[in-house]
Amino acid sequence: MIELQGISRKFQVGNEAVHALRSVSLGVKPGGYLAVMGPSGSGKSTLLNIIGLLDRPDQGVYLLDEQNTTDLNDRQQAAVRRHKIGFVFQFFHLVPRLTAAENVELPLILAGFDADERKQRVQNALSALGIADRSRHRPDQLSGGQRQRVAIARATIMRPGIILADEPTGNLDRASGREVIDILENLNKQGMTLIMVTHDPELGRRASRRIQMIDGRIQSDKAQTHEDI
Amino acid sequence: MRTFDVVRFSFRSATGFRTRTLLILLAMAIGVGAVIMLTALGEGARLYVTREFTSLGTHLLIVLPGRSETTGGPPPLLGETPRDLTLDDALSLKHSSAIRRVAPIAIGSAPVSWQQRSREVTIMGSTAELFDIRQLSMAQGRFLPAGKPTLQTAVCVLGYKVKNELFGNASPLGKWLRIGGRRFRVIGVLTPKGQSLGTDMGDIAIIPVASAQALFNTSSLFRVIIQASGRDSVARAKKAVLDTIRDRHEGEDDVTVITQDALLSTFDRIFTALTLTVAGIAAISLAVAGILIMNVMMISVSQRTTEIGLMKAIGASGGQVLRLFLSESAVLSAIGALLGVMLALIGTWTSLRLYPDFPVTIPWWSLIAAIGVGMLTGLIFGVLPARRAAGLEPVEALSRR
Amino acid sequence: MGFKELLKLSLGAVFSYRMRSFLTALGITVGITAVVLLTSLGEGVHRFVLAEFTQFGTNLIGIAPGKSTTAGISGAIISNIRPMTLDDAEALKRIPAVIASVPVVQGNAPVKFGGRSRRTYIFGVGPEAPSVWQFKVAKGRFLPEDDPRSPRALAVLGSKVQDELFGSRTPLGQRVRIGGERYRVVGVMESKGQMLGFDLDDAVYIPATRALSLFNRESLMEIDLLYAAGASGEEVAKKARNLLISRHGSEDFTITTQEQMLEVLGSVLNILTLAVGAVGGISLLVGGVGILTIMIIAVNERTGEIGLLRAIGAGRRQILAMFIGEAVVLASVGGMAGLAIGTGGAWLLGVAVPALPTHTPWSYVVLAELLAAVIGLAAGVLPAVRAANLDPIEALRAE
Ligand SMILES: Nc1ncnc2c1ncn2[C@@H]1O[C@H](COP(=O)(O)OP(=O)(O)OP(=O)(O)O)[C@@H](O)[C@H]1O
Ligand SMILES: [Mg+2]
Repeated sequence: MIELQGISRKFQVGNEAVHALRSVSLGVKPGGYLAVMGPSGSGKSTLLNIIGLLDRPDQGVYLLDEQNTTDLNDRQQAAVRRHKIGFVFQFFHLVPRLTAAENVELPLILAGFDADERKQRVQNALSALGIADRSRHRPDQLSGGQRQRVAIARATIMRPGIILADEPTGNLDRASGREVIDILENLNKQGMTLIMVTHDPELGRRASRRIQMIDGRIQSDKAQTHEDI
Repeated sequence: MRTFDVVRFSFRSATGFRTRTLLILLAMAIGVGAVIMLTALGEGARLYVTREFTSLGTHLLIVLPGRSETTGGPPPLLGETPRDLTLDDALSLKHSSAIRRVAPIAIGSAPVSWQQRSREVTIMGSTAELFDIRQLSMAQGRFLPAGKPTLQTAVCVLGYKVKNELFGNASPLGKWLRIGGRRFRVIGVLTPKGQSLGTDMGDIAIIPVASAQALFNTSSLFRVIIQASGRDSVARAKKAVLDTIRDRHEGEDDVTVITQDALLSTFDRIFTALTLTVAGIAAISLAVAGILIMNVMMISVSQRTTEIGLMKAIGASGGQVLRLFLSESAVLSAIGALLGVMLALIGTWTSLRLYPDFPVTIPWWSLIAAIGVGMLTGLIFGVLPARRAAGLEPVEALSRR
Repeated sequence: MGFKELLKLSLGAVFSYRMRSFLTALGITVGITAVVLLTSLGEGVHRFVLAEFTQFGTNLIGIAPGKSTTAGISGAIISNIRPMTLDDAEALKRIPAVIASVPVVQGNAPVKFGGRSRRTYIFGVGPEAPSVWQFKVAKGRFLPEDDPRSPRALAVLGSKVQDELFGSRTPLGQRVRIGGERYRVVGVMESKGQMLGFDLDDAVYIPATRALSLFNRESLMEIDLLYAAGASGEEVAKKARNLLISRHGSEDFTITTQEQMLEVLGSVLNILTLAVGAVGGISLLVGGVGILTIMIIAVNERTGEIGLLRAIGAGRRQILAMFIGEAVVLASVGGMAGLAIGTGGAWLLGVAVPALPTHTPWSYVVLAELLAAVIGLAAGVLPAVRAANLDPIEALRAE
């Protein structure tokens, strides 16, 4: 259960204050599928980062599973990210030195799993995403779609309740993008909360709920209705 | 995150950048290797001198005529005194129970000739007891006979060089040769023992002390070498010598007694201090290697900014990132230190091959100290970059491409 | 691309990576500091020791009885069969270039005055000793020109012996007992302090003949000759050798000129300084490896930049010069800082611990700076060649 109450975030650039988020309130139920849309610079990524505990709001309260996250220290926040949240980025962000399997393994290592269990889980995850045969390849030896699948495998390996995806198809061709969306939606059907930033109205329409952001505010917040299709 | 995984991860990052990693290892290895190698050399020198000292015999005391009143000044190794240290003085020392053996020494140089060949040789006058005190050994024949030391006997023992010069391969035993103006019968030849602290025992002829005093027309001794009856009685022997001589010299304290232990420990201290100094100077290079590690880790942090952001996004805490980078520096310096140890081992091995007489030895404390200091350097110089990495804001780190 | 532009480009690169450049130069700085400081110490010790030795004058020749053996035992302690006599010392004085000749017998005996007694070094010498050894008389005079065969029983005290035996009273005219005989004190020497742990003031000077009989010896232990400043030491030594051989029948003595001794001493000390400097130089080597590492990283990082430069018309040589220039700038700046810290440190050390002599010879300073530049050059070559050989198309693709 995600609950944002009056969240504000502003950046100081020289003498100018940029208000990336202005008093945003938002609640997302477990298992929800939320699309975040809006023009460039409207604060979508900032919102996602705050939900993902990568960034702290200047004002407001953020409750995650009834817990006030603004009180948590760095360690505790890291633990929350580790166990409850999975990130998927537009630019994949795989560690170039490590193989696909090792990239997927990273969160398990951070959480202190033992080697046998790690191996098992990584293998399963890669198989589930259809890239088991690429497990020993380094990112530069993979296609964009394959890279994003590795990133998704990494995001879901800890079985988090929430997946945050910031333009996951932004760097992919249409077909690969489709496959990635299918995978993410599948995970959503299995009960994971999916919050996805996208510029693509068609993709946005697939979500069960859609918010439109403009200039740091939520302009509209619509549950998906039949007419929109 | 498990320690093993931390180390493994750092290892992977280190091997990810091959050239720079190799160079860091090289730098660290040079530093650690130099420190160990230099301490090994110092330790070798110390052992060498210690061995030389103990090869002189054990529990020795040396009595010199004359005494210096300036405290801390050197003993009067040169020069004369109005009252000689005589053969009787030396023999009277035997009465103490703390003293096992006494060898009076008179020294001079004179031409030694046999048939047409002649050679200027150091002549040492002493007694049979010198043999055991100096732990000499015979190549041929026997040493000076045990008899009354005050008796002049025309026999002599040759060092192996003198024997080779005068007799070549022929046996000198029983031959009569000329020392100064007098004739002596050769009764033995010493084994080559090499130079031991100033006196070349190969280039020497040993004759009975009374004969030497007559030859050089003197009643004084150059020095007296004494062997105490045991390790514990060295101090007692020293006191006995001083007391006896004072009695015999009408209350004058006019000799200096040097104990072998005191000499040895002085040398020991000097060599240890020297070794530590040189090793310390070499250790400056460890600091330079540390600076290099810091520099490269700094670069590494800025190059891997997005990676660090990602690690944070997938749930690494600042502490974990700190530990990852710290352990990377530690892994680098540890491997570098090990390579340094290897370098030093190869160095000592080679040196032992080339100069088997010089006992280059790596003291265990230097191994531990060098590796320890090496790793510590890596850790200390790793702190700054690691803190920088840990302090990166994940959002910014990720957005930088 | 001229030298100025090259320097500008190199400096630009150095400044745009401030932290990195600082740390790279710091490695060299530490190395050069170590080398400069250590050689300054070594050179200081060198000068100190030489000064200690030359305080006795430089135009000296020492002659000792007995042919010196490989064992290194000086003839002085070997009771040689042919004694070296006062007559020998007198005869040597007749060599034209020789200004003075001092016979020396050295020993150790108690000197007594009133109820006090002190064991001290006794030097049996001739009247010319102060001019040969450059000692000065503080009170009274030195031993007079008596008949060398039967000189009067006169003594001159070292300052320490005077203090110990007489305190604040004047010793001139007093009689001290040395061995069995009474000597009248005619002078006190100026304090000379210690030389290498040997207290020069703890000594008493008496005529050589009396010392010979005191110690019951026939032979002198040494004869020291002072020759004219312009004369060649070697020449004088040769004449002395011939003269003594004709007197003794064979060469049963050893001649050492001060020049030889200083030469040997100087080369030993030079080797020592060099060795210490070399140990410090290990740090410099490590600093060089540091520059190499950083330059290789820089080439990797700036692959795109290199490609661009090639694309807009830079030649291989210019790229090469650019990167080597950067390495040399780093090393030279680091070296310069090291020089400043090293010389400053040596100076401070000299001020703070006066017992520790330091001296920074300017030739070393220049050498050290050159060394730093050469290290930069050597470390810069490999990465620069790498950069120059990059294929411009590949390099641009890397961006
Ligand atoms: N670290 C930062 N420093 C300064 N300003 C920032 C920073 N991050 C974001 N901003 C500003 O905050 C505003 C919102 O940025 P944000 O990245 O959330 O937009 P976005 O909706 O994700 O845009 P896009 O669709 O282009 O990704 C923008 O005006 C941006 O310039
Ligand atoms: Mg965005």
